[in-house]
Amino acid sequence: MSNLATATLPIQPLRIPRRTAPEPSIEVVANRSQRRARPKVAYAIVVVASLGGLMLSQLALSIALSDGAYTIDRLEVTQKEQARAVQLLGEDLGRLSSPQNLAVNAEALGMVQNANPVWLRMSDGAVIGSPTAAAGGAGVLGTAGSKVANQLLAGVPLVTQLPPAETAETAPTASVAPEASTGATPGAATGETTDAPLASDGRVPAPTTR
Amino acid sequence: MTRRTARGRLALAAVLVLALVSVFVVRLIDIQVVRAETLNSQAVDKRSIPEEILGMRGDIFDSTGVVLADSVLRYDITASPKTAVESAITPEIAAEKLSPYLGVPAADIVKSIRDAVAADPESDYLYLGKKVDVDAFEKIRALEIPWLYYSSQPARTYPNGAVAGNLIGFVGSANEPQAGVELSEDSCLAGVDGSEVYERSEDGVRIPGSTVTTKQAQNGNDLVLTIESDLQWYVQQTLAKYAQEYGAKWGVVVVQEVKTGRLVAVADYPTVDPNDVDATVNTDISALGSRAFTAPFEPGSTFKTLTTASLLDAGLIDTGTHVTAPYRFTTADGADVNDSESHGTWNLTTTGVLKESSNTGMSQLGLLMTADQRYDYMKKFGLGERTEVDFGAEETGYLGDDWDEDGVPDWDPQTNLASMFGQGITVTAVQMASIYQTIANGGVRMPVSLVAGCRLPDGTMTDVPSSEGTQVISPSAARSTVDMLENVATKGWLASKVSIPGYRVAMKTGTAQQPDGNGGYSKSYLVSMAGMAPADDPQYVVSVNLSGPVNMNTSAATAPIFRDVMTQVLKDHRVVPSGSLSPDLPTNF
Repeated sequence: MSNLATATLPIQPLRIPRRTAPEPSIEVVANRSQRRARPKVAYAIVVVASLGGLMLSQLALSIALSDGAYTIDRLEVTQKEQARAVQLLGEDLGRLSSPQNLAVNAEALGMVQNANPVWLRMSDGAVIGSPTAAAGGAGVLGTAGSKVANQLLAGVPLVTQLPPAETAETAPTASVAPEASTGATPGAATGETTDAPLASDGRVPAPTTR
Repeated sequence: MTRRTARGRLALAAVLVLALVSVFVVRLIDIQVVRAETLNSQAVDKRSIPEEILGMRGDIFDSTGVVLADSVLRYDITASPKTAVESAITPEIAAEKLSPYLGVPAADIVKSIRDAVAADPESDYLYLGKKVDVDAFEKIRALEIPWLYYSSQPARTYPNGAVAGNLIGFVGSANEPQAGVELSEDSCLAGVDGSEVYERSEDGVRIPGSTVTTKQAQNGNDLVLTIESDLQWYVQQTLAKYAQEYGAKWGVVVVQEVKTGRLVAVADYPTVDPNDVDATVNTDISALGSRAFTAPFEPGSTFKTLTTASLLDAGLIDTGTHVTAPYRFTTADGADVNDSESHGTWNLTTTGVLKESSNTGMSQLGLLMTADQRYDYMKKFGLGERTEVDFGAEETGYLGDDWDEDGVPDWDPQTNLASMFGQGITVTAVQMASIYQTIANGGVRMPVSLVAGCRLPDGTMTDVPSSEGTQVISPSAARSTVDMLENVATKGWLASKVSIPGYRVAMKTGTAQQPDGNGGYSKSYLVSMAGMAPADDPQYVVSVNLSGPVNMNTSAATAPIFRDVMTQVLKDHRVVPSGSLSPDLPTNF
């Protein structure tokens, strides 16, 4: 370049000094390391790509978030429905386990309460009271019927009034149960009582029921 | 291009930019400042949804963990009449399907919708059903009628119906407490509603992160009673059965635990079913509460136990003190009392006076003590004031109203004698049970309790009633009284009706005349029985009261109730049978 500057061409004498005068005639030549430090296209690509990636991930994030919102909304609806189901079943359970319902059903099935309680004293085997069989219809409700109102039980059928299809399912187990208990308990009980007066360990002997 | 034209362009560009910016600024100020409020509210209305969060009312439990009052959701069904009449599913079609779930005739549903539109073509809101249950709601929703809208409402259900309905009380249509512990313990049960605001998208989904809770909702706490619901049911059933058999107007049975003062059953006949309050309103409005607390009565002879116990404690008599009891007894100051049935002169001991329930005998014993002293004992037994339960509309009972300067009633001579055997004064059934509890508990009166406490979500109990007793009479006076009451049970005229094999029973009967409301007495009686078992170590007190049993107007009407209830209580609680026999005290000399 310095050679060019000095080799003045005669055909353009006016322009050359004009052009060269305000500009420095020398220039710093980048050395090897400086050349290496120059920005490269790769960097630009990295920056742009990462910006793009950032935007994409934000987009993905917001898609996921709104998708989550829909999931939450759906689950909340499900939860509400299930809470309703729980409430419905809870209310059913509550009314069915009310003493009025249990008593009416028990007596419909023929269970009565013995109004003559008899006690067996474990220490000496003494029988307190005079054992008398309960008369039929001698239940707590008896012929008088249930006297404690419960509006929730209106329309709830007795177990004895259920259609046969529903009772049939429970029938087999019902017929097995008495067999098992009669087989297990009386033999054991009579065996002990005939041998010796009742030995008490403070607990009431319970029949083995399967 | 000259320098001038370049400058001109620059200036033009600057002016244009400035103009554009100022347009933006003006618009910005207009939106952000001038119309900010209206626009904001419009925007909020469009997207932001305020929502009330329900603070659920606490449940009521019995002492065994059975739910007596439960908070549930019910659903209001509303229709948009203007949409309904235009819809493909016409009111006629819908009403046919809705009718069975709403319990309203289909024609009525159609009529109400058509009427609403006729009255106002823009009608957009009409109640079709209020507080329908979940079952009906689910079925109605499944019909997918586009012009129906639903809103949930808190409500109360009482799974056991009238069991303890007299004590629990009930709530009104807006779930506001109206009676019983629902009302008196509302501070424990009531929840606090909260509120939140959230924004939602066009398709109705909540925008994430937009929820702002403006007020935290707080559920109510659970209330635990001392009542045992199964026993309560048994007592109510038994009471109602006999009360109807004997034609009583009303009846009360109180079962109290001797050592703690806890009420394990308080049965009223009739009893309100909190699920169906209207049924009781129409028949017997007094049965909306608990007469055990709210209906004081002249107790009659069951009160002799208190007079006797007071005299024993004061050391003025013992179980064998001799009394010559004629049929009629008069005093110099003009009092005149007689026994219920005509008899010759009896030579009775104190035990005999109780066994025969002699008014003349009791009057002579009672006169050994001044009226002031007797009144003091009555007060110490908790009479004349509300019990610790502080039940809604609980009565204090009446001990007289001619008050001396020293705060003692100035009974006239007749009332002075009458008050010894339970006439001329009134007590509530719960107070009567408490008298017997005191005597059964070695003279220590325990505070009467119905509420075991308020249970916080973390399980801690607050508002636990005091368990500190007060010594009203000496243990020996109490024991002697029980001994005499055992003799009433074993030798009295109802002995065979009240005996429970294996247990020593102590009890006293009462057949009190009831006031006619005009200062005299009517032909109607209040028959009662109060007692305890097992008498060797009393665990439970049972007090039975029947008002005006027309088919049997003696205390014999109360005997089967007393016996059945006491038997059930002893069985239920596995009370060890007495290992001994009742003492045999002389009744005559």
